[in-house]
Amino acid sequence: MKTTIDRVSDSVAVLAMDGELDASNYQALIDTGQSLYGEGVRTLVLDLSDLKYMSSSGLVAVHSLALVYRGEAPPDPEAGWQAFHAVQADADSGVRHESLRLAAPSDDIGTMLDRTGINRFLPVFADRDSALAG
Amino acid sequence: MTATDLHVEASLDELADIRAHIRSAAETFGVDPAAVGGLVQAVDEWVTNVIVHGYQGAAGQVHIHVQRDGNDIVVRIRDSAPVFDPATAPAFDPDLPLERRPLGGLGIALIRELCTVFDHRALPDGGNEVTLRRPAAAAGRKGVAT
Repeated sequence: MKTTIDRVSDSVAVLAMDGELDASNYQALIDTGQSLYGEGVRTLVLDLSDLKYMSSSGLVAVHSLALVYRGEAPPDPEAGWQAFHAVQADADSGVRHESLRLAAPSDDIGTMLDRTGINRFLPVFADRDSALAG
Repeated sequence: MTATDLHVEASLDELADIRAHIRSAAETFGVDPAAVGGLVQAVDEWVTNVIVHGYQGAAGQVHIHVQRDGNDIVVRIRDSAPVFDPATAPAFDPDLPLERRPLGGLGIALIRELCTVFDHRALPDGGNEVTLRRPAAAAGRKGVAT
């Protein structure tokens, strides 16, 4: 998977993914997002427009980054259940993570985000520009 | 052609090729394009579990058999990792203590949603065989993912 970073400002960045996000590369996505947070980015848009596939490992990566951008430590990346439980807890409590935004998911990925409840606690936008506008 | 077979090393680096194989087989067997995504995801999730939680970094093989069976597409996946029956993995339970989490994880729950059949048997000489079945047509499939 290829990633492209667009630093919109000191505190805002867009991380675009091109390819497939699975168990072989999801940790690299977490690492990249954490590095950006370490550099001062506080609003991160994940541009999914060229992402062709996302496995459950990708969901763990998204949730991990949601926690990072909320100022918390990410969960153990191997703990799929733990991450999902946290997703459910966030969704059930109405918590939304506005600092991490998803843009332009495909129909398949959008359906997965819906079924797993990710879109109940993370804002999902139709495109990059609307995600940046918030 | 009535079936396809793929043998790969148990490596996460093989996942992309496995998905490509499933897509190609699905096309060959006339699976509705809208139903292919769920099939690919189910296979990917199971093989990932085999590699990460079954072999746990040890060398091994994964054998994937794909065939059309009437109105369904059927995938059988064999490995020689320690026996793990996914039926023992509990349904989503937000109260489950982490120390009681089963081998496997979120992927298994997704497979249950995506497949009409998700069967496991322990192979006589060790290892596992799972059978994943989905309708070849998008309409009437279980779950909402395509």
